[in-house]
Amino acid sequence: MAEEVISPDLGFVRDVIKSGGESLKKCFQCATCSVVCNVTPDNKPFPRKEMIHAQWGLKDKLFSNPDIWLCHQCSDCTVYCPRGAKPGEVLNAVRKLSIQHYSIPQFLGKAVGSPSYLVLLFAVPVVVLLLLLSSLGHLSLSAIPRGEDGGISYAKFIPAIYLEIIYGGISAFAALVLVAGIFRYWKDMVAGAGEARQKMLLKGSLIPTITATIAEILTHKRFQKCDVTKARYISHMLVFYGFIALAITALWAVVYLYGYEFFGIKATSIFHFGESPYPLTDPVKWLGNAGAIALLIGGYLVIKDRVNNKEKAGRGSYFDWIFITVVFVIAVTGILTELTRLADIAILAYPVYFVHLVFVFFLFAYAPFSKMAHMIYRAVAMVFAKHAEREVERG
Amino acid sequence: MEKKIGVYICSDCEIGKSLNIDSLVKVATKTKAPVVKTHPALCQKEGMDFIKNDMATEGVNAVVIAACSPRVNYDVFNLGIPLVERVNLREGVVWTHPPNNEDTQMMAEDYVRMGILKMQKMEAPEPYKVENLSKNVLIVGGGLAGITAANEAAKAGYDVFLVEKNDSLGGWMAKLYKQAPTEPPYTDLEEPLIKDLIKEIQQNQKVKIYTSSMIEKIEGGPGVYDVVVRQDGKVESFRAGAVVMAAGTIPYDATKIEHLGFGKYPNVVTNYMMEELASKGAIVRPSDSKPVKSVAFVLCAGQRDENYLPYCSATCCIESLKQAKYIRDQYPDSKVYIFYRDMRTPGHYEYFYKGIQNDAGIFLTKGDVKGITEDENKNLNIDIENTLIGEKIKVNVDLAVLATGIVPVTALGEEELPPGVKPGDEFIPYVMIETDILNLGYRQGGEVPVLINGYPDSNFICFPYETRRTGIYAAGSVRAPMDIPSTIEDATGAALKAIQCIEMTGRGEAVHPRAGDISYADFFMQKCTQCKRCTEECPFGAINEDEKANPLYNPTRCRRCAICLGACPERIISFKNYSVDMIGTMVKNIEVPPEEDEKPRAIVFACENDAYPALDMAGINRLQYNSFVRVIPLRCAGSMNLVWIADALSKGVDGILILGCQYGEDYQCHMATGSHLAKIRLSKVAETLDRLRLESGRVQMEQISISEYYKIPDILNNFMKKLEEFGPNPYKG
Repeated sequence: MAEEVISPDLGFVRDVIKSGGESLKKCFQCATCSVVCNVTPDNKPFPRKEMIHAQWGLKDKLFSNPDIWLCHQCSDCTVYCPRGAKPGEVLNAVRKLSIQHYSIPQFLGKAVGSPSYLVLLFAVPVVVLLLLLSSLGHLSLSAIPRGEDGGISYAKFIPAIYLEIIYGGISAFAALVLVAGIFRYWKDMVAGAGEARQKMLLKGSLIPTITATIAEILTHKRFQKCDVTKARYISHMLVFYGFIALAITALWAVVYLYGYEFFGIKATSIFHFGESPYPLTDPVKWLGNAGAIALLIGGYLVIKDRVNNKEKAGRGSYFDWIFITVVFVIAVTGILTELTRLADIAILAYPVYFVHLVFVFFLFAYAPFSKMAHMIYRAVAMVFAKHAEREVERG
Repeated sequence: MEKKIGVYICSDCEIGKSLNIDSLVKVATKTKAPVVKTHPALCQKEGMDFIKNDMATEGVNAVVIAACSPRVNYDVFNLGIPLVERVNLREGVVWTHPPNNEDTQMMAEDYVRMGILKMQKMEAPEPYKVENLSKNVLIVGGGLAGITAANEAAKAGYDVFLVEKNDSLGGWMAKLYKQAPTEPPYTDLEEPLIKDLIKEIQQNQKVKIYTSSMIEKIEGGPGVYDVVVRQDGKVESFRAGAVVMAAGTIPYDATKIEHLGFGKYPNVVTNYMMEELASKGAIVRPSDSKPVKSVAFVLCAGQRDENYLPYCSATCCIESLKQAKYIRDQYPDSKVYIFYRDMRTPGHYEYFYKGIQNDAGIFLTKGDVKGITEDENKNLNIDIENTLIGEKIKVNVDLAVLATGIVPVTALGEEELPPGVKPGDEFIPYVMIETDILNLGYRQGGEVPVLINGYPDSNFICFPYETRRTGIYAAGSVRAPMDIPSTIEDATGAALKAIQCIEMTGRGEAVHPRAGDISYADFFMQKCTQCKRCTEECPFGAINEDEKANPLYNPTRCRRCAICLGACPERIISFKNYSVDMIGTMVKNIEVPPEEDEKPRAIVFACENDAYPALDMAGINRLQYNSFVRVIPLRCAGSMNLVWIADALSKGVDGILILGCQYGEDYQCHMATGSHLAKIRLSKVAETLDRLRLESGRVQMEQISISEYYKIPDILNNFMKKLEEFGPNPYKG
């Protein structure tokens, strides 16, 4: 390797330490971590090299490296580390900083990663939704119109069109930020890959690689290799598929709302085209409820595992916990929204729904800056590694 | 007074069950012992009373106890008389050989006979007492080690002379800005403790301090060292009993490590200079007084490198971590790089290392610093290979600090060999570097012999403080590279050794390893041929020479190893209780059965320090070995006189095996060169064997340490097998 002038970024070292990698400097480079890791490739394994790069504040080396995302934080390394340097936690902190680095505007990344901005970040959806409600005149319970059957109807509380505008808008913003981030990230990875890998990247279409990566994500193959935190395979899977189910539900609902005009199917079939709420017999309801329950159970297991493994794997950072909390609150409030509606407890139903909307806003709008972004960055890193033949199966 | 020998044979510990005690009594009687008795348990009170009764009523004044090894129960069998000999029937015979066996019995009988003959040839030693013994301790060097030794000796009630070359006390440690932590939690730097120690010693009435002074001459020996000190042109003399040499070290000359640019670039400094920079307050670099915001510490600079300093100086890792903290404490935005080869922070230092490591601004990596160059801003580019970051890296820094190692002042000169000895010779009796530290009046040279890298020779494992000059104890970093707490411990130990030496010399006793031995060598000068063998071969320089090359023996310098006894071709050197004649008589009286009996005989000359204990250990572990060997303990393998081999072979003994300590580079010999000398002498035996038309393989030497006792059966059995191959000694009968 060519000689290079190294200039440590002291600020970056401090950022890693502040972001949950406070044990970073304890590493003395024995490489136990790389030996015990089940998900690292054999050639130039992680996380030993990432540890010294982080210690030395060499952030470009870390960011341009898909390895930080190939790590699934099994925490096997953290358990076996003889110095208590917690490589799993350190890489998690590095990933957080990577997300903040690639997702612009960067001040939003800083804000999402720092508890001091929490109130401000929540204030945005609260204000937006309150302004909407006040303009609709729905700030008092009695003023909220009821559904056709006289029951609680959230579609009457806030007509779909407004939510579509707000949430469509923030989703589009998030998507744009993520695409821009991925674009820069890919460019950096290519630049940092070295000649041999750069050549490999030019070979063949990306499509089969992407397909293979998606298959790997859907099967959670990498999570199964973890030893210490094996249970995460289940909990993460539940959360993951819960999300997918709810995403499909949301799209399905859009089809219902605008689709009956095209399909001309009456609400009497099992598919209830038209405005929500839909009866419990509707397949969209089955999927949505199943997704919500998966998310709830998965979220609960995530929290339980993290608490149980605190000693071994580390307690996790604010960045992790804010994300977990938001997802869990969304699951809980989502289910309560439905239950209070069915029970017709208006005094609870509307506030719970409001909270639900605030948290969903938080999740969507700040997705590129929060841990949510991991699903995109990790997937991209996996595609890159696969295509550059970095990610080789261990024998 | 007429010697009246009493032989007491114990039958306890399986001796009575395994041997025919009556036959042993007969052997003893036949060997002309006037009193021969047996007892069921000599080491019990009844047994002791039994012997003491004979001493009182029958006038027995020389006791031979045929029981257990002389290495056990020596306190029990202390009868208050000098002539007590132990015949090792337990460990040496019944525990290592089949019971009620003809060969075992013959072995025991030989040992009883040899024990009695030994006693017959023995005289009661009387201690050598010097006149005008001085109990003062001379300490050479006023650094941490010297001051500590002086304080400790004074505290123990001894008057101390402390001689320091420089005009102030404290040595290198006085130049430290701070010292690495010695107390929990091992995170905070401490004020160098030397300041208090200097104050303490300056107020001590028992310590006379000579600064700006050099030792001009030290004559005499332990207890009677006559010292001449020169201070500002004036000369002063006094007598001291023992010497602590704590002359310290100097930094390795960093200009020799050319690729690191010291001397070429102003901003490359040594760790010693770094202390000065830190002591001045704001740490600025030499070239332009710019605050130092980035520093590279180059550890092992020229150290552990055969081209420069081949060893580790033991202190640099910690000192560099400490200096890194100087910078980091002063400039929070500074970057401190530490390039190490192996981070060596033993013991509690590990906590300090962890603390420094945990600082965000410290950048550590293993690596080899290949070169330092200067850029146009007088900044330094450091090239490092084999790093943990990747292969090669380069950093640009304001200042580079080289952790150059330490060189003991005993190494500052040319190595000189004794006359007639060339470098590369198989045996080099001693290596001398004339450094002007002690200026001893010894025939072998003015300083203590050095072993490796100019450090004083000593048995590093067993007696680290001992130099090869009795009564002179090296302490601190002149003895071996060491840190502050180790130096304090070392100097305290050396002071105690010096005091011990003075007290034992006062009683006429030897110091280690034959501690308490009151015998000393006697030279029958009429027959001396001035061959200089004894004066050259004495490992401790105990024997001076007059202008006619006559040996001048200094009993207080002597460690009673009897290497001179082995060396002397005229056999004029003897001890009251250890002589050529005595061992020779034992050798000649081993019963050698005629050839047709097919009972070969071999003599094992076993060094008392390790080989003989190993034989005992074999016994304690009930390891069985050949019954045809006869073990004769020697004070040191080097005390073996070739005449014994000639005596044995002409008597018909089939072979001789010498069991000695490891010799050579990592020698284990308690007398430094004894086992090597034995080996050299044996190589000369071949000539004698040729004259006798015998196979040279009949005389061999094996090296063994006490922990290798399990090898004893194999060594002895294999040797006997080899002798069988040679066939019987034709001189039998």
